[in-house]
Amino acid sequence: MPLLETRALNKRFGGLHVTNNVDLVLKTGEVHCLIGPNGAGKSTLFRLILGEHLPSSGSILFGGEDITALKPFQRIRRGMSVKFQVPGIFKALSVRQNLEIAMQHHYEPATLGDEIGRLLDFLNLSVDAERLAGNLSHGQKQWLEIGMAISLKPRLLLLDEPTAGMSPEETHATGEMVKRLNAEGMTVLAVEHDMAFVRQVADQVTVLHLGGVFAQGSIDDIVADERVAAIYLGQSTAHATAHEQPGGVHA
Amino acid sequence: MNALTRIFRRLEGPQTLGRGPFFWVGFLVVLVGACAYPLLSDGYTVGNTVYFFTWIFMALGLCLIWGYGGSLSFGQTAFFGIAGYGYGILTINFGAAYGFTFVALVLAMALAALFAALLGYFLFFGRISGVFLGIVTLSVTLVLERFMAQTAGPEWRIGSARLNGFNGMSNMPPLTIPWPGGDIVLFPDVQLYYVVLGLLVVVYLALRILVNSPFGNVLVAIRENPERAEMLGYDIRKYQLGTFVIGAALAGLSGVLYTSWGQYITPSSMGMTAAALPIVWVAVGGRSDLTTTLIGTLTVLAVFQALTIYGSQYALVVMGAMLVLTVLLAPSGLILALARLIARPFAKRQPGDA
Amino acid sequence: MDVGTLAFSALYQFGDAFAFLVLSACGLAVIFGMMGVINLAHGEFIMCGAYVTVSAAHAGLPLPLAIAIGAVVSGLVGALVEILVIRHLYERPLDTIVATWGLSLIGTQGTLILLGSTMAGVGTPFGSFQIGAYSYSVYRLVLFVMAVVVLAGLYALFNWTRFGVMARATIQVPHMAAALGVDTRLVYSLTFALGAGLAGLAGGLYAPTMTLVPTMGTTFIMEAFVTVVVGGADVFLGTAPAAAVLAVVKAAMTSWYGQLAGQIGLLIAVIIVIRVLPRGISGFLLRERV
Repeated sequence: MPLLETRALNKRFGGLHVTNNVDLVLKTGEVHCLIGPNGAGKSTLFRLILGEHLPSSGSILFGGEDITALKPFQRIRRGMSVKFQVPGIFKALSVRQNLEIAMQHHYEPATLGDEIGRLLDFLNLSVDAERLAGNLSHGQKQWLEIGMAISLKPRLLLLDEPTAGMSPEETHATGEMVKRLNAEGMTVLAVEHDMAFVRQVADQVTVLHLGGVFAQGSIDDIVADERVAAIYLGQSTAHATAHEQPGGVHA
Repeated sequence: MNALTRIFRRLEGPQTLGRGPFFWVGFLVVLVGACAYPLLSDGYTVGNTVYFFTWIFMALGLCLIWGYGGSLSFGQTAFFGIAGYGYGILTINFGAAYGFTFVALVLAMALAALFAALLGYFLFFGRISGVFLGIVTLSVTLVLERFMAQTAGPEWRIGSARLNGFNGMSNMPPLTIPWPGGDIVLFPDVQLYYVVLGLLVVVYLALRILVNSPFGNVLVAIRENPERAEMLGYDIRKYQLGTFVIGAALAGLSGVLYTSWGQYITPSSMGMTAAALPIVWVAVGGRSDLTTTLIGTLTVLAVFQALTIYGSQYALVVMGAMLVLTVLLAPSGLILALARLIARPFAKRQPGDA
Repeated sequence: MDVGTLAFSALYQFGDAFAFLVLSACGLAVIFGMMGVINLAHGEFIMCGAYVTVSAAHAGLPLPLAIAIGAVVSGLVGALVEILVIRHLYERPLDTIVATWGLSLIGTQGTLILLGSTMAGVGTPFGSFQIGAYSYSVYRLVLFVMAVVVLAGLYALFNWTRFGVMARATIQVPHMAAALGVDTRLVYSLTFALGAGLAGLAGGLYAPTMTLVPTMGTTFIMEAFVTVVVGGADVFLGTAPAAAVLAVVKAAMTSWYGQLAGQIGLLIAVIIVIRVLPRGISGFLLRERV
């Protein structure tokens, strides 16, 4: 059974058709990457799945249940978790407290401290546990948020450009971590620009273009697809470095 | 012993500044001093000191909503007034016998909490936040003031309680403890002092436990980053509403204590100026901590009292100036800034923390 | 009573409520819309305008000129406040509200100290006229016309002048506007002064109709608040339609149960509106255009 499924999902902002009839299927246990040139509608689709936007039509199924009308926190409680592109952390609180807030309802109070310690080790943040999260380096902030996201023990981990602003080494390390989490049974959906990262982790790749699904397949299929190359080349900007503005539709 | 340490642990945490043996020894010293104070003073002065104490509950409630939860509630005086009038209406109608005044206290607080729940439902489930929350809550208290101010006519009565318009309601009985061989009437004197001091200690410690609990964790998380808090699976609206109701109940407690202290309440206790004062106390003290709020409130009230001999309008100008200067120069609060300054030599500095 | 006089009476009530809401709110709305700041000293700027207007009228100046002076003085005070306080708080909009509340206290109580608890007013000019059984104040019609003139003037200012273009550029992309050579600090100062001036204008216009007391600002701010809350951040797509909708509520409630019912009705309407349209009318209208 697919873990996540969108059926004929549409989102319009006024006259703009941002998400166009998207049928996306995520099998349990796979790492699925969502790619596409700027303005392809990746962020909107991501936010539709999270429940930050409600679709104009269509439905979303998670674990077989229709979650189209559910609020974001209800989706999280059903086993989703998210890491945003801009690290969503609690800057004025300590690293330890950030994790505590994420984890306090998922572990017994007696074992919570140990679990936090273990996660701090895993994230390489043990020495920084008492520092304010806002004072961490950019990479550390990214890791902290990944830590918060995975501490919920989600069935589906949603990653919005997890490697944005990372060095190639950090990107590679993040990729290895995603593979390890996946090996432990976590299904992953990542919006990503960095093709090296996609190649490293993806079982399945979906290419979005103009709001709709343009191509789907393994990374090798996608790279071999000349039409995909054409839509990327049609872009004047270098997609590898450009960032789509999340929430740009609020403007 | 084990149970005691467990309780102590729950009183401390990242959400409260005062911690460790030093703090608690200091706390006990202050408490003993507060208990001994009536022995060193006369009943009249002690009765006036209670007046200061009655306001602190409202300040602590605002500290919870604003300082910890990050929601601007500018209408705490609305709940203060509702509970104050509620207490007056109940006790004027049903008297003070058999400890009914304390039933009235609880009912009046419940009334304020219920009103807050209703209002808060519309506000928080409508996802109102930031400036709009502040001005809507302020509007509510202003409208209540105007409403009560026009109830001068004899048709505005509930049972035998006349609302009395702009002049306010008076002559409700003070809090009364039923006692064999004659009820203890808590006039502004030593007995009332100990009752209110006891309430204050209980509320302060209970709030410390609350803010250091998982609930408090979520509360500061919402203040720092509501979107992230929601994306960790928290229904932030419920947390905001819960906090709002608790804060309203505390404002209600202040309202009841104030009303029973002076045996009167007027609409102006819900007006623009009255609404500004809790903001001044909490902002000047340091809104993000219960202890600094408590100290700040007492300090500001003492300053206010000292200035009132020149006329309350002078005192209020100084309050306004204090508020502006605090926001400009010490946004986290004067008392908090002072506490940090004192604590600096003792604290181990964390690497990289400014 | 025939339908015609009844209709006129209803229209008059509506126009009166509309004028009051627009004039009360536009200064607040300009500052909020452009700067994201709610000016809690708004009522004190209104009071300032009223006091200056009446003083000028007592000094023998004709009323229109006195009102203009009231507006200008309020605007200048606004500019001063912006430079001394608001400017230092742009990074912290929520703190700005708190600071302006402090200013409000200083304004009200300072006026009380300096000028006493009340000031002799000037009479309402123009007298009244009779339709059917009721008499109506001519000046209230003038106020309605002035509300429309203010809206039109603001529209012209923000769309057709250099200041308007710079101001709109500044709110939309501040760093870009700065990079293009717009003096954003000056724009903010002028915007705040404009908002304060409009508040002063409202005070001046209503001064002949009410008693002058230092707390008179509170008479206006509740209406100003709710109009801005319902309207949202846009003066033209928000404040004006919000004032129109709320004026219907207020006029209807007032004519049924009196002034206070009008205010309570307003507040309840607002609380319900924000449950349905959290970003106000302008947010609702703009949603489809994104």
